[in-house]
Amino acid sequence: MAEINLKRVDEIIEGYKGEEGVLIQLLLDIQNEFNWISPEAIARISEQMRIPKSQIYRIASFYKAMSLKPVGRHIIHVCMGTACQVRGAPKILDRIEENLKIKEGETTSDMRFSLKRVNCLGCCAMGPVILVDGTYHGKITSAMVESILGQYE
Amino acid sequence: MKLEIDDKTVEIEAGNTLLAAARSIGIDIPTLCYHPALEPFGACRLCSVEIEKRGRTKVVTACNYPVEDGLIVRTNTPDIIEIRKLLLELLLARCPDEGRIQSLASEYGVSKPRFQIEDEHCILCGLCTRVCEELVGVSAINVISRGVEREVGAPYNELSDDCIGCGACALVCPTDAIRLEKNIYPTTAEDIQEIEGKFLEGERDEVLGVFSDLVAGKASTGGQDGGMVTALLISGMKNNLFDAALVVRRVEGYNAEAVVVEDEQGILSARGTKYLRVPMMSKLEAALKAGKRRIAVVGTPCEVKAVRKLQQQRDLEREYPGIELTILGLFCLESFDYDGLKADMSSRFDVELDKADKTQISKGKYIVTAGGKDYSCDVRDMEAIVREGCPYCGDFVSQLADISIGSVGSPDDCSTVIVRSKAGKKLLDAAEFVSAEVDKKQIVKLAKLKKRNADRNLATILDGVQ
Ligand SMILES: Cc1cc2nc3c(=O)[nH]c(=O)nc-3n(C[C@H](O)[C@H](O)[C@H](O)COP(=O)(O)OP(=O)(O)OC[C@H]3O[C@@H](n4cnc5c(N)ncnc54)[C@H](O)[C@@H]3O)c2cc1C
Ligand code: SF4
Ligand code: SF4
Ligand code: FES
Ligand code: FES
Repeated sequence: MAEINLKRVDEIIEGYKGEEGVLIQLLLDIQNEFNWISPEAIARISEQMRIPKSQIYRIASFYKAMSLKPVGRHIIHVCMGTACQVRGAPKILDRIEENLKIKEGETTSDMRFSLKRVNCLGCCAMGPVILVDGTYHGKITSAMVESILGQYE
Repeated sequence: MKLEIDDKTVEIEAGNTLLAAARSIGIDIPTLCYHPALEPFGACRLCSVEIEKRGRTKVVTACNYPVEDGLIVRTNTPDIIEIRKLLLELLLARCPDEGRIQSLASEYGVSKPRFQIEDEHCILCGLCTRVCEELVGVSAINVISRGVEREVGAPYNELSDDCIGCGACALVCPTDAIRLEKNIYPTTAEDIQEIEGKFLEGERDEVLGVFSDLVAGKASTGGQDGGMVTALLISGMKNNLFDAALVVRRVEGYNAEAVVVEDEQGILSARGTKYLRVPMMSKLEAALKAGKRRIAVVGTPCEVKAVRKLQQQRDLEREYPGIELTILGLFCLESFDYDGLKADMSSRFDVELDKADKTQISKGKYIVTAGGKDYSCDVRDMEAIVREGCPYCGDFVSQLADISIGSVGSPDDCSTVIVRSKAGKKLLDAAEFVSAEVDKKQIVKLAKLKKRNADRNLATILDGVQ
């Protein structure tokens, strides 16, 4: 799992010390820098800002912009809708899992990719489809997987 | 402020709510998420009423709407009744098995909801989270997530390290929901009875709980008082009663953490009382997950309660086959906040807490030993830095432990030991120590004092429960 550098968390907290009502901004800073908010980070904020953990967690679990699980810099959605299934989506998923050495729902240890499956991306004619961040890649084959992933740092 | 509620005139000071104004003249407005000792939340909307201002009407929630001069309030119009009916229909669909909801619903003639029936218990009134935050002060639980996934829970859906098992949340919860929570430890009177029946052995003393033996002893290991905790742990491990112990030791300066130790050296390293509350339950679960099964846990009364509650509500034997927990409970009147204690010591005595050799509380005095010198003050003067939650804890002697140890009741340099179960008896029999005279009266006096204070605080909560 992607560890969050707690020294860096301390630095971020330091920048907000003594100010009121900064929790949301502080959490967003941590989210932006690490792409998620770990239990350790919450414990640290709780200790340093003297805010109970459950209150921090309440906020972090409320805002869509915050993630309580590690999320990679790029998110791959593999369409598993019926049309894509028929056209070989399972093979594509296998290949991506093999390539990134993670399973669906997981994140690579270098935080580069998170892998998710979805039901029908609404462009069945292009199947099989994967969506990386905002970009649709359609009519792909397993052989194309590596070069597509290569486009994302 | 002068206003009119259901055609009756009422005069009440500004700053009051419509609910208070109505109740002051005997008009009943139903509420679910309101409690007089807590900040209004406005979540359930059951207290909806109609107000009329300059000829215009609107619906507001009475529990958090401030009184205004000249306001006309109607609590029972057909529209308002309809709103309440609909809310109760929704609630009944969500929580069909909850008595309080059932009776409110039937009061309003609602029986068969037209909505999808679920089997929830929590109505998200937030009473539990507010009582835990605003009164108890530990804020162990909160309403988490958003939308349909909103629920009451502890962070990450893991065991809470902050919950002290005071049971305040269970007192206010209008449903069964809080008793079904898995990650906190609200211990009610019924829970205590059940736990005693299941785990403890001996006579039940009104004040000291169930026990079979009460002794004082001094061991050669050295320690806070008579070193009995340390001696019990060492001999228990030698005699194979457990193979790991969860103890609390200093990490940086005076600050401390709970650690799992597996040998005599480790046990010795935890000698001495740190007057703090440290995260404990997550450490226990981590030890179990790491494969430890036979563990002795040393903890304050709140921690003892938490461990027992865990044994009671979860099927630990299935989750961790072969699990065997032995609980050594300490006496405790209160703990302090690390930062607070540090600042207090520095300003009061110019003593650096982190360099202190020892801290102790004896006969109402707090004593810190540093640089070969003792500094002392009345514990009563340190109220401001008492850890939040302690005033709601009524257990001085760790009533639910297998064996309890404290300093009160025995001569200086000795520890008082109370045996409460077979496991505790075995542990005491295995230990080597020189025994001394116990003064039970002293223990009873402090135990009563702590209970009385907690009961008084809990009474404020009970007063507002309907
Ligand atoms: C916060 C606190 C308040 C207390 N208040 C009172 C009191 O008001 N009256 C009274 O008679 N006794 C009180 N005690 C108990 C007393 O201080 C001694 O711990 C007890 O008498 C055992 O002494 P000993 O010589 O046998 O302990 P030792 O052999 O020195 O062993 C001490 C054990 O306590 C554990 N411990 C130390 N600090 C903590 C902590 N913060 N949380 C959990 N475990 C800890 C260690 O793991 C160690 O195993 C309190 C203890 C604590 C932790
Ligand atoms: S658990 Fe009980 S008190 Fe807490 S929000 Fe749910 S119903 Fe209300
Ligand atoms: S038992 Fe006490 S500390 Fe624990 S969640 Fe309930 S109110 Fe909070
Ligand atoms: S099934 Fe894949 S886009 Fe519709
Ligand atoms: S009691 Fe007023 S909104 Fe719940």
